[in-house]
Amino acid sequence: MIRYILRRLVLMVPVAFLVTIGVFVLVRISPGDPALTFAGEERDPAAIAAIREEMGLNQPVPVQYVVWLAHVAQGDLGRSFQTHQRVLEAVTERLPATLELGLAALFFSVTVALVVGILSAVKRNSIVDLLSTSITLAGVSFPGFFLGIVLILLFAYVIPGHIFPPGGYVPLAQDVGDNLRRLVLPAITLATASLAVNLRQVRSSLLDVFGLDYMRTARGKGLHERTVITRHALKNALIPVVTLIGIQVGAIIEGAFITEQIFFWPGIGRLAVQAIPSGDYPVVQGVVLVSAFSYMFTTLVVDVLYAWFDPRISYGPASA
Amino acid sequence: MSGATLPVVLRVPRANRGTAIRYFARRNPRMIVGGAMVVAWLLIALLAPVVAPYDPIKVTVGDALRSPSLAHLLGTDDLGRDVLSRVIWGSRISLSVGLISVGIGFFVGVSVGLAAGYLGGKFDLFVMRGVDALLAFPALVLAIAITAALGPQIQNAMIAIGIVAIPAYARLTRGQTLAIRSRDFILAARTVGCTPLRIVTRHVFPNITNALIVQATLSTAFAILAEAALSFLGLGPQPPDPSWGQDVAYSTRYLANMKWWMSVGPGLAIFSAVFAFNFLGDALRDALDPRLRRSG
Repeated sequence: MIRYILRRLVLMVPVAFLVTIGVFVLVRISPGDPALTFAGEERDPAAIAAIREEMGLNQPVPVQYVVWLAHVAQGDLGRSFQTHQRVLEAVTERLPATLELGLAALFFSVTVALVVGILSAVKRNSIVDLLSTSITLAGVSFPGFFLGIVLILLFAYVIPGHIFPPGGYVPLAQDVGDNLRRLVLPAITLATASLAVNLRQVRSSLLDVFGLDYMRTARGKGLHERTVITRHALKNALIPVVTLIGIQVGAIIEGAFITEQIFFWPGIGRLAVQAIPSGDYPVVQGVVLVSAFSYMFTTLVVDVLYAWFDPRISYGPASA
Repeated sequence: MSGATLPVVLRVPRANRGTAIRYFARRNPRMIVGGAMVVAWLLIALLAPVVAPYDPIKVTVGDALRSPSLAHLLGTDDLGRDVLSRVIWGSRISLSVGLISVGIGFFVGVSVGLAAGYLGGKFDLFVMRGVDALLAFPALVLAIAITAALGPQIQNAMIAIGIVAIPAYARLTRGQTLAIRSRDFILAARTVGCTPLRIVTRHVFPNITNALIVQATLSTAFAILAEAALSFLGLGPQPPDPSWGQDVAYSTRYLANMKWWMSVGPGLAIFSAVFAFNFLGDALRDALDPRLRRSG
């Protein structure tokens, strides 16, 4: 198992390297002179030259990349052109809000997918099943931002009592109740697309397992139906769902960019989106890099968990 | 001619065209429904100048913020522009970005996949690591980053979404090419002296089109959704051009005033177009890949 993890880590190195090149190139192809943007109102050529020198923009591009990579490796993602705040600091300040939203969405999506998915597979062709297949079809096609707007309209304006506020964020430490009240709508918005995919996976992998011989054996030896489903079917059917949850993390990271914007949620997605119009590339670059690495890391963890859950997967060289 | 030595072929009366279509429709109802929705959107986009009741960018201050009525089926926005006309014209942008970006992803991804799968070796190893690097980014984050770097323009949104679509095609094509590479007909083609280019284009590619058609349909749905998301964030077409995502974003400033129709028109348009391509893609997958028929 440790060898498997080590192998995966080694395989990740070239990919991580290419990711850093990609992110670096993205900023270099951006229009405009970074030194001028950083200088802001300052138009003194000597001052701009000094900034260019300080930012290392006079050096050849490969050298700039190596210097930038060395800084990144030490956790230095540069400074925001707008606020001159350290990018890493800006990202870590906003990370708790994004994490809270992401975890809430993941929790909502997995719980509902499990409950509805199991019911829908067990009671095939029932109303629950019809509901679940409809959610699946609609959920993947419904744009997250439109869902967010519909939810805001309904729960913040149309339904009397204004159950949930239309947006904003209150830190958990400051007021737990208000924090949770403000969390509900963005979490549902963010969760819906992944809920649809998870639901489909839970239902179809359960249906696949239901057709297998050991299920017939379990029923044949007189086990209670609930035991057959929880002890025999679920345990095996959930293995593919674990992988899927890993993939959902990507969907949740990208969804956060949109959802945070609609609900004025001060996370890293909103940080990046607000940095784009002003050409604050270090911030965009930092957030994209953090997102990519979090996604890669989650994928690795999920692959390891998958191998751990399913004993049929070997860790040898053939298992790639 | 000695009839006894030949297999007897019964002459089956050819079914007329109507019967054939009815038979196909009965067997593939989802494909018909999905196909009809897609064709409907394509027709709306093509015939926008004819079917749109008003000029989508003409400002008529006297008509501002009117709720849906017979004169304006989806109401008007704060500048008095007809929401339905903007939705109809917006379909041109959404569908063209969807189709062109899928075209970019298809062309590059399939070429890379064919080359990597057929040539194998170090080329495969290096190229596929590049593809893995693209996959290391959450798709929309990469699209946002590329569009932000290139500048918020419709062409850049197309390029960004196209680049994001490359890995899916490259991996799919590579996998299918690897499966076909060792088959006898490829060996035969190689034996008679076909060049690698001819083998992949004339022998491998035609045999993997089924899977690619399904992927292309599903990724068009993703591309429309991604374009809407980019436009929502202000990274797509710029005002006053009609664009679904941008119009939904614009409408948010009137949510508190309950001018819901400004959001609902373009929002439902995105949903129905994405739904149409997803629905058609799922139906095609079921019809073209018998292994998947029993799941779901």
